[in-house]
Amino acid sequence: MAASKNNENKSGSQASREKELSPNLQKDAIFDTLTSMLSELLDMPKKDFHPDTMLFEELPLDSLQLYELVVDLETKYDLHISDEAIEKVQTIDDVVEMISFAKS
Amino acid sequence: MREGERGTKMDSTEQDFAESLLRIFDNVLLTEGMALSKGYFSDLSIAELHTLNAIGPYEARTMTETANILGITIGTLTVAIDRLVKKKYVERNRDTKDRRIVRISLTRQGKLAYRMHSKFHRVLVKRIMDPLSEEEQKILTKTIQEIDGFVEEQYKKYSNGQHYKKIVRDDTEV
Repeated sequence: MAASKNNENKSGSQASREKELSPNLQKDAIFDTLTSMLSELLDMPKKDFHPDTMLFEELPLDSLQLYELVVDLETKYDLHISDEAIEKVQTIDDVVEMISFAKS
Repeated sequence: MREGERGTKMDSTEQDFAESLLRIFDNVLLTEGMALSKGYFSDLSIAELHTLNAIGPYEARTMTETANILGITIGTLTVAIDRLVKKKYVERNRDTKDRRIVRISLTRQGKLAYRMHSKFHRVLVKRIMDPLSEEEQKILTKTIQEIDGFVEEQYKKYSNGQHYKKIVRDDTEV
């Protein structure tokens, strides 16, 4: 899975179009959205994020920023993400898989 | 142990238990308040945070539903919601199907405060539960539920049918 260089913030209609994509393309689109959010939140370039980037060990993500990310993902993908689910994720790809599974 | 000694020991145990229980009530509230005042959401009071909890992070609620959950009157809730709207933690919207109904929901800021506060509760529960075996956790949970049920009964006995505070959990999460 490759990170897209596109840095624009997706609109709601783009999010609904993601649902129509094949599973792999859908995961690419989620990855793109997630890394855009992380880039804005942490003020880091998107190219610094990879699927195997460890969220808590490699990124300077504090607990408030983590919940900002969770709340924004919930809003964008119309999901409810529990604290138990958050505790299970380690990498960026884990988050992509969690959202993709919840949306399938 | 003689009958008299056992009686004295029981009284002392009961007294220790009662004191611990009351200390827990007071200190949880006190710690919540201190954590709030030193955290990201220092403009919120504990009562306001509990109002955010009653509204919940997902579906919008009516004023009546929220007042029932908190066990307060609509008038009292209206004052609290006015303040929370002003502080940008809550928003009011008309129901899309019935314009007469006003629904309240949490803003992004409100959802963040809700989740950070839930984390406080989660850490507390984890700290209590983690050292216990699965069997001990079941026993403790059952005991706590029995205490909760007993306190609810007592509340109803003295409150002349007023609503009992019950936080409704949303169980549709991933």
